[in-house]
Amino acid sequence: MSTQLLLFQVLNGVGIGMIYFLLSVGLTLIFGLMRFVNFAHGAFYLAAAYITYAVVLWTGSFWWALLLGPVLVAVLALIIERLLLRHTYALPHEAQILITFAVALLIQEVVILLFTPLGHNVPVPAALSGIVFLGPYVYPAYRLAVVGVAAVVAIVLWIAIERTKMGSILRAGSESAEMVGLLGINVDRVFMATFALGAALAGLAGVLVAPLRGVEPFMSAEALGIAFVVVVVGGLGTLSGALVGGILIGLVQSIMSTLWPEGAQLMIYAAMALVIMIRPTGLMGRI
Amino acid sequence: MMDRRRVLTGMAAAPLALAAPGIIRRANAESVLDVAAVYSLSGTFANVGSGLNDGSKWAFEQYGSAAGHKLNYVLLDDRGDAGEAVRKVQEAMTQRGIKHVIGCTNSAIALAVQKEVYARKGIYVNQAGADEVTGKDCNKSGFRWPVACYSAVNATVRPLIDKFPKAKRWYTITGQYVFGDSLLSNCKDVFKEKGIEHVGNSYHSLSDREYSGYIATALSQNPDVLAICNFGNQTVDVVRQAISYGMKRNTKILAVWSTGLDQFQALGPENCEDVYFGANFWHGVDSPGGRRVAEIVKQKTGDVPNYLQACGYAVSQILIEGLNKANSTDVPTIVKALEGISYEGPTGTESIRPEDHQVVKDYYLMLGKAKSAMKDKNDLCSVVAATKALPPPEKTGCQMAASL
Repeated sequence: MSTQLLLFQVLNGVGIGMIYFLLSVGLTLIFGLMRFVNFAHGAFYLAAAYITYAVVLWTGSFWWALLLGPVLVAVLALIIERLLLRHTYALPHEAQILITFAVALLIQEVVILLFTPLGHNVPVPAALSGIVFLGPYVYPAYRLAVVGVAAVVAIVLWIAIERTKMGSILRAGSESAEMVGLLGINVDRVFMATFALGAALAGLAGVLVAPLRGVEPFMSAEALGIAFVVVVVGGLGTLSGALVGGILIGLVQSIMSTLWPEGAQLMIYAAMALVIMIRPTGLMGRI
Repeated sequence: MMDRRRVLTGMAAAPLALAAPGIIRRANAESVLDVAAVYSLSGTFANVGSGLNDGSKWAFEQYGSAAGHKLNYVLLDDRGDAGEAVRKVQEAMTQRGIKHVIGCTNSAIALAVQKEVYARKGIYVNQAGADEVTGKDCNKSGFRWPVACYSAVNATVRPLIDKFPKAKRWYTITGQYVFGDSLLSNCKDVFKEKGIEHVGNSYHSLSDREYSGYIATALSQNPDVLAICNFGNQTVDVVRQAISYGMKRNTKILAVWSTGLDQFQALGPENCEDVYFGANFWHGVDSPGGRRVAEIVKQKTGDVPNYLQACGYAVSQILIEGLNKANSTDVPTIVKALEGISYEGPTGTESIRPEDHQVVKDYYLMLGKAKSAMKDKNDLCSVVAATKALPPPEKTGCQMAASL
C-alpha cells in the first residue's frame, strides 16, 4: 500500500469513525446512566431514517427532516419508556434485552407495512452534493458535513456532561442512582430524559446516514451491531469511549479494506476481541 | 305406502349416502397440489425474498390450477440461511409429501435445496444466478429461470468493452460468496480474451455495508471502468458510495447484476444517471408473457412489475407450464415435458435447454437516464443491448443423469 493510499484510508477511516460515533453515542449514554441495555437503539435509527425519507418525499427538504427526525424519535422513545421500559429497570438485563428486541421488531415491521420491504433513495441535499478536494484526495462533501456534525455533537455533549448541572446529575446518577434520588432529584425523570436524548442521538444518526446509504427496513441490525462493537471497544457508558472506539473501528475497517479486503469486516470484531482481552472494560472504560 | 323393494333400496343406499361426504372430501383433497416455495422473509436478503415471494404467489393465484389440480402455495421461510432452507424442505417433503419446490433468495440456498430435492426425487425451479446451478452442480430435478453468471457477464461486459474500446483498465468490487465469485471468474475470462487490464479486485463480505475503503482502493488504481460483482442491497450501496466519491467523473460504473426497477428506484435518478446495469427483466420490454405479469402486478400493486416480482412469477410459471404439458403431477413426466419446452415468459418467448435445464432468454444491458429524460417515475433506464449469451451446453460442466 502506497503512503498516499494509506493517508487516504486514514482520512476515510476517521470519517467512518465519526459516523460510527454518532451511531453509538446514544447507546453508551443510556447504558452509562441507566445500566439499561437498549436493543431498540438500531430501531430508533431506522425510524429516523424513514422519517427522513418521508419528509424529503413530501416537502423536498432535507433540513426539515434534520429537525423533525431526532425530535419525533425522542417523542417515540418517551412513549415507549413511559409505557414499557420503566417497568423493566429493576429486572435483569435479559428482560430488558427481550423487551427492547421486541420493540425493535415491532418498529421494523411497522416500517415494512408502511414503506414496503424495498429500499428507497434519500437524495443528498443539493447544497452538500458533489465532492471536495482535500489536497490530493477527493472526499464527498456531504460525508464531510456529517463528520463535522459528529464533531460538534461530541463537543456539545462533552460540555453538557462535564460543565453543566444536568451533566453532574447524569454523572452522579451513573455512579449511584439511589444516592441521587436521596438528594431529592427525580431519578425517574432523569432516566426518561436520558433515554429520550439517547434515542434522539440515534435519530440524528439515522437522519444523517439516510442520504449516504439510502433507507431499507433491515438497516437497523447493522447499526446496532456496529454501535455495540464501538461501545465495547471504547468502554461502556463513556462519551470519550464512543469517540475513541468509533474512530478506532473506522480506521481498522478502512485500512484493512486495502490490506485484506475480504477480512475488513472480520477485523472489526477481531479488534474488539483484542481490546476485550487486553482491557476488558474497554479503552476508556473505568476499571 | 313404502313397498319392500323401496325399503331395501333405501337401506342399500344409506351406507353410500353416509360415506359420501368423506368420499367427496377425499376427492377434493386429492385434487389439491401442494407446492413449496423457499424464500428468505427475514435476514440480509429479506427485501429480495419478499418481492420474489409476491411474484410466485400471484402466479399461483392467476393460474389457480394446473394438470387438473388446485394449486396450494406452501411458503417456507429460510431466514436467509441455506441450512434452514434444507431443513424446511426436508420437513415439507417427508412430512407433507411435497415433491414440487420453487424459489430461492440466493445461490447458496438454491445449490443446497437443489441437491436435497434431487435426492428426494422432486422437481425444483429456482432463480439462482451462480453458474453451478446449471453447471457442475446441475441435476435432473433443477431448472433455472434467470441467466447464469456467464450470460450476465457476457451480455454486459462484452458490449461495454465494444462500446468503449479505449477503456482498458477495469477494477472489480466483488461480494465474497458463491454468486459474486462466479461473476468475477467470468469477468476475468472476458478480460483475458479481450485484452483488458484487470487492475485490481476488492472482495467484501456478505455483511458489509460500508464500502468507502474499497472505493478508495479502487480510486487509487485510476480505473476506466468499475465493475460491481455482487447482489441485492450491496449493489445499491456500492454504486451509491462510488458515485459519492466522484467516481462517475472519469470512470464508467457497471453493476453486472442488478434486480432492475426496484434497485433503480432505491438509487434514485440522480444516482442511476450514466450508470450501466445488467438486468434479467425490464417492464418496458413488451411481450405477451410480460403483459400477463404486468396484469397481475397492476391488479395487486397498481404499479408496473419489477424484476423480483417477475422472477418470482417466472419460476411458478415454469412449473405450471410443465404440469400442464405433462398433464400429470408425476415428477419424471414433468421433467420430460419441460425439457425443450417453449412458452411465453415474462421476457418474451422463452425455452428450456434439455442439456442443462437453463431457460434461454434475454439479459439486458441498461443505462441510467437523466431525470429530465424520464417519461414517468419508472422510466429510469433504457435498454442498450439485449443478448441471449449462453455458454454452449458442453462447456457448462453439467453432467446430467438420463433420468431422475
